[in-house]
Amino acid sequence: MSAPSDRDLIKRARRGDAGSAEAFGELVTRYQTNVFNVCYRILHERAGAEDMAQDAFIRAHERLDTFDDERPFGPWIRRLAANVCLSHLSSQKISAELDEEREADTGQRPDAVQEARERSEYIRAALASLPAHYRVVIELRHYQEMSYDEIAAELNIPLSDVKSHLFRARKLLAEKLHAPD
Amino acid sequence: MHLTDHLTDVQLNEYLDHEINDRGRVEAHLASCTNCAARLTALQALFDEIESLPEVALSRSIAAPVTRRVRGSGVLPRSLRLTVTLQGVAAISVIILAAPFVGQFISPYLLEIQSLSFADMFLPVQSQWTAWLDLLSQFQVPTVPEFPVVELSSLFMTIIVVGASLLWLIGNGLLLRNQVK
Repeated sequence: MSAPSDRDLIKRARRGDAGSAEAFGELVTRYQTNVFNVCYRILHERAGAEDMAQDAFIRAHERLDTFDDERPFGPWIRRLAANVCLSHLSSQKISAELDEEREADTGQRPDAVQEARERSEYIRAALASLPAHYRVVIELRHYQEMSYDEIAAELNIPLSDVKSHLFRARKLLAEKLHAPD
Repeated sequence: MHLTDHLTDVQLNEYLDHEINDRGRVEAHLASCTNCAARLTALQALFDEIESLPEVALSRSIAAPVTRRVRGSGVLPRSLRLTVTLQGVAAISVIILAAPFVGQFISPYLLEIQSLSFADMFLPVQSQWTAWLDLLSQFQVPTVPEFPVVELSSLFMTIIVVGASLLWLIGNGLLLRNQVK
């Protein structure tokens, strides 16, 4: 017997009967790595990313009725996860201070970071050093392949802000990644 | 944009994001301008670097904790939620409709209560308290109190016991139904 489709699982999860939690659990199993990676790219912290991934799935379960099952579940849950992370970062008063600290770290000792970590970890660190709203637009554009219009709608910001956030985020990333040793 | 003008950084970003309208003109300029072509190559390298990040594996599956939380959240099926909403609407409507009749019914009593002074209300309490103190002072130990015996038929008692047992079983069954796999 073939595995149930995402659509079938969503229908079962919506029923609210004894098997609905298990159906949703199967969806979590399918998408947990994707969702965790969205959170990890934005937060750059494993434990926090795992917590946020759980919260994203819980939020998805609460909003399952609003999900259009004609569309694929993956992009929806990844977008939702990015939003959950952004809300989390926005709610943290210390996030701005952390951003500055991280920026200062990578700015002052890029060579130390480069020597200590793999290149991918170095990119992650550079991404994590960006302000929260820059991280999220990078996530939505590069990893979730959303258009400018879609990002603007998702984050509820003007199109001009999407363009400027992306442009500045990439400029900052380029400066960090290609800073002279 | 003139063919001889250099492309701006924003235009290069929009070109790589497939968000520029005049792609033909940009490509014509890139074919003839080594400076802009080099900047585009550098920006493309940054895009590749950002998108080269490998997916990270979760240290543990989050499906089980999410399923537990979803099960614990006790989300009602859509049909029940609709029923509850309708019940709520019906209850509020009934309250609104009944309010004038209830007001009319209790208004004489309200007037009576309003006409009572604080001393009037306090007097019965005080006399009751005094009577109770008198009774307490006359209390003699041991005295076996006599309880009134209510005569109930065996059929009535059986119905009461069976009904209470059924209620207990159904109630517990409903409470535990989601915890039994």
